[in-house]
Amino acid sequence: MTNTVITVEKINKSFGALKAVNNLSFKVNRAECFGFLGPNGAGKTTLMQMLYGVARRDDAQASTMDVFGLDPYTQELDVKALCGVVPQEDNLDSQLNVYQNLLIYSRFYGMETKQAGERIDELLDFLELSEKKDVRIKKLSGGMKRRLVIARSLLHRPKMLILDEPTTGLDPQVRHLIWQKIRELKKEGVTILLTTHYMDEAYQICDNILIMNQGKRIIEGPPRRLLEENIEPYVMETAKSGDKELEASWDTNGIRRDEVQNIPRYYAGDFARLKTLAKQMDTDDMNIRRTNLEDLFLRITGKCLNEKQ
Amino acid sequence: MKNSSHPPLITRLSSVWYRHYRVYCKNLFSNGFPPFLEPLIFLAGIGLGLGKYIVSMDGIPYIQFLATGLLVSTAMFTSAFECSFGTFIRLEFEKVYNAMLAAPITVSNLFVGEILWAGTKGFFFSLAVLLIMLVFGVIPFSTSIFAPFVGFITGVMFAVVSLFVTSFVKDINHLNFYFTGFLSPMFFFSGAVFPIQNLPPYLRPFCEIFPLTHVVRMVRALCRTNFSPYLLLDLLYCCLVILILGFFAVKRLEKRLIN
Repeated sequence: MTNTVITVEKINKSFGALKAVNNLSFKVNRAECFGFLGPNGAGKTTLMQMLYGVARRDDAQASTMDVFGLDPYTQELDVKALCGVVPQEDNLDSQLNVYQNLLIYSRFYGMETKQAGERIDELLDFLELSEKKDVRIKKLSGGMKRRLVIARSLLHRPKMLILDEPTTGLDPQVRHLIWQKIRELKKEGVTILLTTHYMDEAYQICDNILIMNQGKRIIEGPPRRLLEENIEPYVMETAKSGDKELEASWDTNGIRRDEVQNIPRYYAGDFARLKTLAKQMDTDDMNIRRTNLEDLFLRITGKCLNEKQ
Repeated sequence: MKNSSHPPLITRLSSVWYRHYRVYCKNLFSNGFPPFLEPLIFLAGIGLGLGKYIVSMDGIPYIQFLATGLLVSTAMFTSAFECSFGTFIRLEFEKVYNAMLAAPITVSNLFVGEILWAGTKGFFFSLAVLLIMLVFGVIPFSTSIFAPFVGFITGVMFAVVSLFVTSFVKDINHLNFYFTGFLSPMFFFSGAVFPIQNLPPYLRPFCEIFPLTHVVRMVRALCRTNFSPYLLLDLLYCCLVILILGFFAVKRLEKRLIN
């Protein structure tokens, strides 16, 4: 039996002349966390919206979108009933308190008040918000609002959770808490789709990532494998850049030089090579570290801003 | 693979209604008190002031004439506010609609629920005016007790009109034109303040276009227990406005909410 719960094939979405999503295909397995990465304007949010039926893909007949056996284009209500959504902005009802915010949403799923009350207590406990139950939204911090939106998305025990930049703008403690909750949900069998700009977030919690740019897929796979296959394991960052002549005298055999916003970076397959280079440079103003997803991301999506960013 | 099922239509509509109801009741004092205060101020102003100069209008005491108009004009204003400024804020600033649309409801469920809520508010505001007027004996206790149902129709109709207008609005300040350019003149030329049958003939067709004219006629018939078969035309007019404008309002708002 196949474990694939989401199949997307050759989907497109245009806004006038702008192609927001361009011939994109991917598959997601049950209980996996699938991350979408890409610069602002890469089409991530549009893609998420198409998956739960609030954006409609172009030419639905020529493409496939199968979400737990349903097509969001024609079965919007059924897809929404099995899916929880955490949108980019915290669109809570600011006049109401925490409990009431969750209560009014429990109605959308046809939950009885008693059953909803129990579920709300459970979720407030899960997201460590129990003490804030009677507090108005205006009095909540950014991290609390975010956790409340996550609680709201979980009211009806969704099989699939869509998280559109769940931790943007939050402090490290809250980010780690949210990551831990995502891991727990995964264990419970929830399939998670996530967009993020934080490479460490994708690395920490995603089983698979898809990096996209201008609506197109660039690469896809488990984060560790993508790193191994697409970028050298070590990088040296330094503010020191010599003149061309001096640089030419350095032994850069087996080292790839690259620049991000005019700051040079030196990539290599082994640590010792970079140490040697640092010695030649004669500087303490350098840092040699393992490459991460961010290095890979910058390499493949370009180092300069495009007009949509 | 087992397909999940979604809640039935009645749950989808009532959950939108319930959301608005809870938000409204959150400020019960500031939201629930003015509907009763307004007719009291009205009674003081007309009863002690204007009513001394204009004693009767169209064969009934002027204070009663105005009070019957107030039954529906109050429903009109509350519903128009809810579905213009209120809707625009939910649509563009609070993004509450985006949150609701992630739940299993469609855009038309969302707005039908909202229109029904505006109708409910129209009912409640009419009821508040009616109770005060009955207590003070301004409106006789008769078929007038059914006036809040006309308040409901008024609320629904102006919800639809306001949603239609709002669907065109890109900047919230433009809604001021709707209030000063459309609703205020309508208040004066709908028969709420003075009878329209004595207006110059070239003005009267315009009065008939105004939705308020038709509900004023209906509510006044109830308060005077004086019914004419032509009232069915008024009711038909309201139904047509609600269905036709409602259809286009939802279609247009759908384009703004669904990419």
